Amino acid sequence: MSSSTANFDKTKAFLIDTTKCTGCRGCQVACKQWNQLKAEDTKFFSGEGYQNPPLMSEYTFTRVKFKDYQKNGQNEFAFYKEMCMHCNEPACASVCPVGAFKKTAEGPVIYDAKRCIGCRFCMIACPFGVPKYEWSKAFPLVRKCTGCYSRVKEGLQPACATACPTAISYGSRAEMLKEAGKRLKNRPERYYNAIYGKDEAGGTSILYLTQQPLDELGFKPVTKRSLPSYTWQALRLVPGIFLTVGGGLSLVSWFNHRKERIKREQDQLNGAAAPENKEVDR
Amino acid sequence: MTAAARIIINEIKGYHNFLKLMIALVGLGVLASAVRFVLGLGVTTNLNDVYPWGLWISFDVVTAVPLAAGAFTLGAIVHCFHIKKLEPLVRPAIVTGFLGYSLVSVGLLLDLGQPQRAWHTMVYWNVHSPMFEVSMCIMAYTTVLFLEFLSPVCEKFGYHLPLRVLRWLEMPLVIGAASISTLHQSSLGTFFLIAVDKLHALWYNPLLPLLFWMSAIFTGISIIILEATMVHRFMGQPDESELLEVLTKILPWVLGVYLVVKLAATTLLSHGPLFDRPSLLALFLAEIIIGVIAPMFMFMKREYREDQRMQLRGATLVIAGLVLNRFNVSMFGMEQPDQLIYYPSIIESLVTIGIIAAHILFFVLVAKYFPIFEHHPETVDYSIPDHARRIEPDGGSHGKKSETVA
Repeated sequence: MSSSTANFDKTKAFLIDTTKCTGCRGCQVACKQWNQLKAEDTKFFSGEGYQNPPLMSEYTFTRVKFKDYQKNGQNEFAFYKEMCMHCNEPACASVCPVGAFKKTAEGPVIYDAKRCIGCRFCMIACPFGVPKYEWSKAFPLVRKCTGCYSRVKEGLQPACATACPTAISYGSRAEMLKEAGKRLKNRPERYYNAIYGKDEAGGTSILYLTQQPLDELGFKPVTKRSLPSYTWQALRLVPGIFLTVGGGLSLVSWFNHRKERIKREQDQLNGAAAPENKEVDR
Repeated sequence: MTAAARIIINEIKGYHNFLKLMIALVGLGVLASAVRFVLGLGVTTNLNDVYPWGLWISFDVVTAVPLAAGAFTLGAIVHCFHIKKLEPLVRPAIVTGFLGYSLVSVGLLLDLGQPQRAWHTMVYWNVHSPMFEVSMCIMAYTTVLFLEFLSPVCEKFGYHLPLRVLRWLEMPLVIGAASISTLHQSSLGTFFLIAVDKLHALWYNPLLPLLFWMSAIFTGISIIILEATMVHRFMGQPDESELLEVLTKILPWVLGVYLVVKLAATTLLSHGPLFDRPSLLALFLAEIIIGVIAPMFMFMKREYREDQRMQLRGATLVIAGLVLNRFNVSMFGMEQPDQLIYYPSIIESLVTIGIIAAHILFFVLVAKYFPIFEHHPETVDYSIPDHARRIEPDGGSHGKKSETVA
């Protein structure tokens, strides 16, 4: 696990400008194609809005969420591409007992299906609700966006970023943060003044710019602290506690046994005349 | 039909109807788990991407582990703090613990998506994972309990050399048991520290591991009281309520410290609103009042501590409160206001009922065939003789002091 002082500026990051998203869902299709994912049946109005499918799933690693709202008496749409946030210090990687998740040097958080034992702790841990399970299978595995690691390590851009005509920029995290800051500064009337993902969960590789306040768009409020630090503050005490409890109990029992042995020896000295009195004390 | 099978069937025919019911429930549980493996988790359980952990984690793992805590608590009390008159309670507690942990492992394996890879935890280490820590500890502790459980088995079959080895290992095992248990009982609480924005502030606080550990201690003590009383009532064993009185003296102290830490952690250390969800608040109050405050005040009274029926009632309250607490942390408190509510499917429930039935069944059977209750360590001489042979060459019954060596 990287410490909080580690520098993630050089990892690759997405800058998703939802004000530029046209809702074409080219990213959703490109993702399905590159990852060879099955299509899902279209069901209208099955979720909270117009989006389809209603939720990310084992077959859908990314999808565009729709949000309608009113502005100056006009009906407007906002779009928000949902995907794995590829946290700088991912909770899934920290809680996985067999280390099936890994934050790569390039940025994507990848999953090793060969290691996974299927405990689903990653799903409990992820604050964004990203890892999905193959509920259809007898021996299921976890499925999630890989950040197109197979493409990124060959110098290509992720499938969704390549397909997106308008909203997604892809580059080093430092560059993307700079670009996002520039846009916020140059057009303050266009943007809600926040970069989602800059500090969320200790910083993520996906950065969002929005027009609407984040919570109205359905962005979850997430702690700014890196999640692994929450469990590590308890787990780092483990060796110490083990030694303290073990050592303490050893001392206590040594002391108590010694006390009893001395008592027994004294009893033997005193009661040598009547040996059948004291034999129970072992 | 072979002769051996006929003997077994005849033996089972002689069992009490209650045991036959338990056998039937275990059978149903086995069937249900077979169905789970054939058809898959998604079809047979009500788990989904929103509720990846359900009844099997909430009860079979998170609740059953503290319920099996009697062995380490009592082991430490008797052997380390040397309250030797409680010794007769140790063996039943060890059997309960060993069965409890074995069945926790079964529950875990059923819940895993890839149970055939459970050994991966031993090969691919991730020391940052509380789950890694718990699985290593549970494997180690089940081994320790198995070794402790070997004593009555060796006695039954008269293997005296291993008995001496076990006797020599006793103290290291007891101390190992207590330290390993401290680690994994608390780490079950660490599990939920990662769910910062999911677990409700009534339960989420950084002291969750400490609270889990302390509640395991008072639950372990209460389980021993419950078990000894039940065994007295239904299995014709002697009344141990005088011994249990010692335990009921310890209980209010542990409960009191727990209450103070819990209230302090909830009010001072939690981040987030405490009173925004009335149903969760009710669950929280129920857990504290039923499981902590009521039994604490009960056991502060001398006449309640001495009365066998009150002992049983108090212990039952503590256990009920613990079960509620674990469900609150792992299930109810994790539910977000706008989500559908999870409830276990029939298959999930049958498996859990089967596991509980298996525990009762195996306990009764072990008690029936192995010397669990009539154990009097002071009467057996474990000193190494000149040559390794039986201490009791006359094949005398257990608990009789051997003439030849003494």
